[in-house]
Amino acid sequence: MIWQQLQSLAGSYPLALRGLGMTVVLSLISLVLGTLIGFGLGILRTGGNRLISGVIGAWVDLIRGTPFLVQIFLIFFILPELGIELDAFSAGIIALTNLAACFICEIVVAGIRSVPTGQVEAALASGLSRWQRMRQVVLPQAMRIVLPPLVGQYVLLIKDSSVVSAIGLTDLTRVGWLVVQRVPNGLLVFFLIGLGYFIVCYPLILLARRLEQRIGAAHGEVQI
Amino acid sequence: MTNPSKGRTGMIEFRGVNKWFGPLNVLKDITLSVEPSEVVVVCGPSGSGKSTLIRCINGLETIRDGDLVVDGQRLGDPATNMMRLRTEIGFVFQSFNLYPHKTALENVTLAPIHVRKIPRAEAEKAGRELLAKVGLADKVNAYPAQLSGGQQQRVAIARCLGMRPKIMLFDEPTSALDPEMISEVLDVMVAVAEEGMTMMVVTHEMGFARKVAQRMVFMDAGAIVESGTPEEFFSHPKTDRSRAFLSKILRH
Repeated sequence: MIWQQLQSLAGSYPLALRGLGMTVVLSLISLVLGTLIGFGLGILRTGGNRLISGVIGAWVDLIRGTPFLVQIFLIFFILPELGIELDAFSAGIIALTNLAACFICEIVVAGIRSVPTGQVEAALASGLSRWQRMRQVVLPQAMRIVLPPLVGQYVLLIKDSSVVSAIGLTDLTRVGWLVVQRVPNGLLVFFLIGLGYFIVCYPLILLARRLEQRIGAAHGEVQI
Repeated sequence: MTNPSKGRTGMIEFRGVNKWFGPLNVLKDITLSVEPSEVVVVCGPSGSGKSTLIRCINGLETIRDGDLVVDGQRLGDPATNMMRLRTEIGFVFQSFNLYPHKTALENVTLAPIHVRKIPRAEAEKAGRELLAKVGLADKVNAYPAQLSGGQQQRVAIARCLGMRPKIMLFDEPTSALDPEMISEVLDVMVAVAEEGMTMMVVTHEMGFARKVAQRMVFMDAGAIVESGTPEEFFSHPKTDRSRAFLSKILRH
C-alpha cells in the first residue's frame, strides 16, 4: 500500500515543485522588500523625531502583537470592503512584507542602539551630516549586531509564509493539503512538505551560525 | 590675528553661560575668552563641569542661557550652521572614539573626503603625512583594535588635524592611557600647540600645562574659581579650593 502511495506521490511531483516555487518566490520578494522597508523604518525610528518614532513603534507593536493569520485575513477579506481589491498573491506579498519589515525594524533598532554614543559624537564632532553618520559610522557597526538575528528572522519568515495557503495561494503547504486528499497518508505527505521547507531554510540556519561565529571571533577588523 | 570686522571677540567667547542637567546647575555664569593661538588648560575636581564646558563649544552639549560665540558665530543662533562650525573644531575624546571598522588612514580621511569633499587620493596623501607626523607612518593600515591606547589617541589627534581646524578641544586625552603612553600623546599635543593652534585642554597633566599653557582655568562645582598664568596658578593659588586641589594632584 505504501508503495502505491509513493507512486501516487511521485505523480504529484510537478505540483509540489510549483508549490515550492511559490513559497520561494513569495518569501524572496517579501524578504527583499521587508529588509529594505525594515531598515528604513529602523533608521527613522532612531532618528529623533518623536512623532515618527512613536507611530512606527505603535505599528510594529501592533503587528508583532497580532497573529499573522489574522493580519492576512484582514488584508485579503476586509480591504476589499473598503474598495481595495487585491488578488491572493498581492495580499500575501503585502502581508508578509509588512510582517518582515516590522520584525526587521526591531532588529535594526537594537543594532543601531548598540553602537556606543561616543561613535556618534566623534562623527558629529568632525562635521558629518546625519545621513553620513548613519552610512559611514553607525550602520557598518550596527551590521555586526544585526546580521545574525536578521538571517535567523528570514528563516522564521519563510516558515510563516505557509500561512498564505489560508487565502488560497498554492504554496508548499497548500500543495500538502491538496495532495493529502488523494493520498490519504498525512504523516508521509506532511513529512515531505516539512522536508521541502527544511531544504530552503537549512542553508540560512548554517549561514546565521557562521555569521555569529565570525562576529564572535572578530576584533574590529571585519568589514561587513 | 583677530579679524577686525568681528570686533575684539576672541576665538571662543563665553558670556554668562549657564547650563542645567535637570535641577543640577552644571555650568554657573561662565565668562571666558580664548584668543586665537592661545592654549588654555582647564582643571578641577571630577564633576566640576570642565568636560561639559568644552563640549558646549562644538555643540555636543547645549547651553540654557548666556552667549557662546565661537569663531565669530553665536551658538544657538538660527544663522549659525552648526555642522559647518564643527568642521573648524577638532575634538579629542578621553576614550579616543576611533571608528573600529576603519583603518587608521580611513579614520583620518573620512571627514575630509565626505565633508570637505577633498578628492580621495589627495586626502589619503595628506592623511599619510599626518599619521607620519604623529609617529604612526607604519600603522596606516592598522585597525584601532590593533593599536595601543597611546597610538589610538595619536590617530584621533591626526583625525582632527585632517580637517585643518581653527580650534582643538581635548577632553582628558591622557586619562584612559597607561602611564608609559601618556608622554607620546602629550608630545604630539605640544607640537600642535607650538604650531599656533587655539586649544582648550581639560587635563590634570600639570607638566604639559607648565610647558605650553598661556592660561590655567580652575573649575569647581560648575564655576570658574580661578584663572591665571600657569606660573601664578602653581606657585600662588589664590583660593582654598585650588590650593586643596593642587596639593592632591601634585603630591605624587
